[in-house]
Amino acid sequence: MSRNTWKFHGGIHPPQNKQQSVSASIRQLPLPDKLILPLQQHIGAPGKVLVSVGDRVLKGQLLAQAKGFVSANLHAPSSGTVIDISDQPVQHPSGLPGKCIVIETDGKEQWCEIHPIDDYRQMDATQLLATINNAGIVGMGGAGFPSHVKIGTQQTISTLILNAVECEPYITSDDLLMRERAAEIIEGLQILAFILNPKEILVGIEDNKPEAIAAMRRAAQESTEANPGAPCAVTIVSVPTIYPSGGEKQIIQILTGKEVPSGGLPSDLGIVCHNTGTVHAIRNAVIEGKPLISRITTMTGNLVTDPGNIEVLLGTPVSHLLQHTRTSANQIHRLIMGGPMMGFSMRSTEIPIVKTSNCIIAADDQEFPDAPPEQPCIRCGACAEVCPAKLLPQQLFFYSKSKEIDKAKHYNLMDCIECGACSFVCPSQIPLVQYFRFGKGEVRKSKIETDKSDRARMRFEAHQERLEKEAAAKEEKRQQRAAANALKKEKQAKAKLEKEAAEAANPSTAASTAQESSNEPSNNDADEALETLKSNATKASKRYQQAKKALQMAEKNGADNIDKLREKILQLETKASDAKKALKEALPSPAKKIPAKSDATPNNTPKETDTSAVIAAATARVKVKKAQNALMAAEASDASQEVLEHLSTNLNTARTELEQHAPSEPTTGEAQ
Amino acid sequence: MAFISVTSPHSHRANSTAGVMQQLLLATLPGVLALFWFFGWGILVQITLSVITAVLCEAGILYLRKKPIAFYLKDYSAVVTAVLLALAIPPIAPWWIVVIGTSFAMVFAKHLYGGLGSNPFNPAMVGYAFLLISFPLQMTTWLPSEGNFGASTGVENTLQLIFSSSPADDASNYDAFSGATPLDELKTQLDLDQSTDILQQQDVFKGFIAGAGWDWVNVAFLIGGCFLIWRKIISWHIPVGFLAGLGILAAAFSLYQPAQYASPLFHWFGGGCMLGAFFIATDPVSAATSDKGRFIYGFLIGLLIYIIRTFGGYPDAVAFAVLLLNLAAPTIDYYTQPRSYGHDKPNRGTAKKDS
Amino acid sequence: MATEYAKISLDGLWYKNVATVQVLGLCPLLAVTGSVVNAMGLGLATMGVLIGSNLAVSLIRQFVTDAVRLPVFVMIIASITTCVEFLMQAFTFELYEILGIFIPLIVTNCCILGRADAFASKNPVIPSVVDGFMMGAGFLVVLLILGALREIIGQGTLFADFDLLFGASAAQWEIKLFDEFPGVLFAALPPGAFLGLGLIMALKNVFDARLEARAKAQQAPVTLGSKRVRTTGHIT
Repeated sequence: MSRNTWKFHGGIHPPQNKQQSVSASIRQLPLPDKLILPLQQHIGAPGKVLVSVGDRVLKGQLLAQAKGFVSANLHAPSSGTVIDISDQPVQHPSGLPGKCIVIETDGKEQWCEIHPIDDYRQMDATQLLATINNAGIVGMGGAGFPSHVKIGTQQTISTLILNAVECEPYITSDDLLMRERAAEIIEGLQILAFILNPKEILVGIEDNKPEAIAAMRRAAQESTEANPGAPCAVTIVSVPTIYPSGGEKQIIQILTGKEVPSGGLPSDLGIVCHNTGTVHAIRNAVIEGKPLISRITTMTGNLVTDPGNIEVLLGTPVSHLLQHTRTSANQIHRLIMGGPMMGFSMRSTEIPIVKTSNCIIAADDQEFPDAPPEQPCIRCGACAEVCPAKLLPQQLFFYSKSKEIDKAKHYNLMDCIECGACSFVCPSQIPLVQYFRFGKGEVRKSKIETDKSDRARMRFEAHQERLEKEAAAKEEKRQQRAAANALKKEKQAKAKLEKEAAEAANPSTAASTAQESSNEPSNNDADEALETLKSNATKASKRYQQAKKALQMAEKNGADNIDKLREKILQLETKASDAKKALKEALPSPAKKIPAKSDATPNNTPKETDTSAVIAAATARVKVKKAQNALMAAEASDASQEVLEHLSTNLNTARTELEQHAPSEPTTGEAQ
Repeated sequence: MAFISVTSPHSHRANSTAGVMQQLLLATLPGVLALFWFFGWGILVQITLSVITAVLCEAGILYLRKKPIAFYLKDYSAVVTAVLLALAIPPIAPWWIVVIGTSFAMVFAKHLYGGLGSNPFNPAMVGYAFLLISFPLQMTTWLPSEGNFGASTGVENTLQLIFSSSPADDASNYDAFSGATPLDELKTQLDLDQSTDILQQQDVFKGFIAGAGWDWVNVAFLIGGCFLIWRKIISWHIPVGFLAGLGILAAAFSLYQPAQYASPLFHWFGGGCMLGAFFIATDPVSAATSDKGRFIYGFLIGLLIYIIRTFGGYPDAVAFAVLLLNLAAPTIDYYTQPRSYGHDKPNRGTAKKDS
Repeated sequence: MATEYAKISLDGLWYKNVATVQVLGLCPLLAVTGSVVNAMGLGLATMGVLIGSNLAVSLIRQFVTDAVRLPVFVMIIASITTCVEFLMQAFTFELYEILGIFIPLIVTNCCILGRADAFASKNPVIPSVVDGFMMGAGFLVVLLILGALREIIGQGTLFADFDLLFGASAAQWEIKLFDEFPGVLFAALPPGAFLGLGLIMALKNVFDARLEARAKAQQAPVTLGSKRVRTTGHIT
């Protein structure tokens, strides 16, 4: 039966003080009048309250439902009425109150409907897991980590460990549980083994509990005999008594020689480790269908007249326990929940027993005298010698004290398990663990702050990125628009060019326009005609420029009709030069025209007699002018070729008419 | 009813800094007795003077620093410093030597740096180095060892030597009946191109290993040191490293040229070797902190002692070697951090941001 | 104007003391303060250089551009130092021999370049000279105190060998404080100088703290509640 065990670094041998509470067997207390149930009895999120004040609840009824994955259900430990849901003093070391459901018991102990499972081997593992989850079971050794999370691991488990070490002085609840209910514990282990299917089941028990070891060996033997088909046998391993061998990481190292990686979980090594009380609760949940509503708690301390282990309903106030163990409450110097190494001192006797309360110590100032004042650290290294995590507490102390969190982290502050071995041996009475808790808090705080600033930075960067994206999108749109415009212009230019080309192909129109306008016979219209000619020339050269630009653009864009355009441009060039020529020819005319004009006016006067002719001439002139204007307007508005032709015909007609009526009027342009 | 809230753990081992210091003092007893036997009453006078001075200085500085005087005096750290310094001082050194040295150690080496636990240098060795530099004559003049608890010199004569009114007389007085230590003598002789054969010839070297009386004094300190290791007041790493460093170098040189270099045994049991290895270098405040670091620290002290003894200007070197390594201790700590549980390898060097 | 010079003087002697506040020129300070006469020799030489360099720098401050000012200042300081060196060689040769390299090393004394750059290059001639004198005096005082301290502890004498500086008649000035004093070699060695300077600085800080506390205590009733305007004092 002897199995190889390994040693962890350091460790201490504090006075055991276990004998006081092992003489009596586990007993029960009368039902308390009031049960106070804190919503937060485990690591993780507090549950969601399902009852309200005034509701009558039955024993085992669900009071609060787990909220989130790492959370646990809470059930009524006895039947009665919910009388309050409010903040009450709870088991937290800070002494801060927490939200509690208060039940006034009716003494009937009336159970709600429960569903025991006759043969769990017929069940599905997931169903069993759900049963355990529903029963609200958490790690009962002290941490209170929801058990279904541990059991529900997705990793392959090769070793299931029952942590029955109970290395803390004073506490004997697991010891008594094993002595009296070994078979049930083994049954619980078999259930877990059925779910996890490990290769081996190891039970680590400190060698200061020979009765428990014997009881467990017997029960394991019987279980193997009774169930030859059980998944695997249970091996009971007696481990040397040394604190803190009951730490999860330490018991794993003792039994397997492996170390849980820093920041990792035992399941990373294929190991799941459970506390005795937890396994027993799992068995009750599965076999009896009862949720976790009570636990074994050790009542001890030199003020307790009847020390021993008590099966106590969750929510029972400590004062009730003190009263029924005949404890002189007025002499209490320190009231501790948990062991003397890692437990915390309670401020009030009204704090209730919770799922993790494995021990209550009521001590006077003889048993736990106040620590003497802290002396300077002389770096003797006693702490480093006993540290089970192989840290250098003397260095961590300096860095935590001076808030040098980078250095503290470098010295692996976060791997401290707060076992208190260093404080225990410190010759200078330095409360090292307290400094480390503070240091860890600082590390977490700085992490939160770093995260916050990281998030802020990410937000800022995202914001920047968004702005840049928006700007880029805008820019892109703008460019698209510009390209579209260019395309449109190109099209327009093309259309114009085609039109111009058409005009060029029919040069008479343009030329005639120019010539006709320069042929403007009317004195009054001579200046206007010149203007027209000028504007025609400008327009022609403008068009030529535009066409050239369009060609360039087209060249750039690689349009396929470049050759056509080029042709058109050549034509336009000719046309523009023609127009200019026409203008040049026309330009000298005003000088001649002015005398002609002055001549014309007297010339007109003698012919006043022929009024009708004059009127007709005027009418014709107006017609010419109108036709001219229409033609120009049509040209300006890029009217179609037919319209232009039609207009120019009109113009010609009007001009002929004018010539008929006013033959005397000088003709400019062509005449010269 | 409300109770005081106290953080865990709630129980403590019944040990205290004062207890550590008291056991340290107890461990010096064999050495003190050996010194008393061979060099007479002087050592007791020196210890008395030194302790009185140290306690007065400590009280005075604590008063100036507005700290609780009784509380700090009760930790015995001042007494330990005083005794260690007194053990290193020649028994017939004039009274003012020990007074100046002790007060310098307490005020400058200990309290100016912040008192117990904050001093980077070993206060006793700072005091010793200060004295050795300032008063080389008085600090290197020892009586020849005689045995019988100084019966031949006598209490009165010793007291007269120590408290003689005129310091100038000392020099002439000394020459009459004092001599150098074996280490000193060996150095002088070797410098005069003598060979180590003189170790067998001269009176001063007539002990079983390393000079009359001195070897026994070292054996006595070795016994005291073993007591400390057994009581877990000190760990074995520093003394073993220390003796290994000194021994390896001494062995190498004496194997190479036995005529010019003394044997490791002579070095181990000569001068202040054992006192240094078990009582001086092991001062935890100024030493390296991890086990590996302590071994390296001790080893380097040993090497330095040999180098200074053999090639340096001073015959013995514990004080200088220890002070130099005090300076290096933080660096040693950076590179000797142990591998913590759950880590693949130990962290090295200084902390990085966001490591 | 008077207040300005008072401020310059106080700065030099106390508030911006070269040795105890600015902690400049430590190398000569620590090296030559073994005795009062050495300290005085070096202190006077440094003071002379300071005055000279401040004067020269202040005179040419309008004509030196920023880019070349440091080389120019160093040149000036070096020239003046050489003059002082020659003077010492001529009149106090033995002291010159004792101080040795530390006289030419005055060039590298940060306080001289520091004052030239920080004060003389921005101020008129007379304030610059006063500043040079006061800074030098502040330095000299610390040198003398440290020299005296180390001479007393190291040798048990005071004002020994003054004939080196002040002629043969000064040889009698030596005071033997103790008969047959063994002399604490430690004080005469460099570590003693570090320790001594540290103590002087600590003492000054204690004094400053006391002054400040007293000033606060005196001011307190005025600032509390009272709105009376002070009408005394200079109106410039």
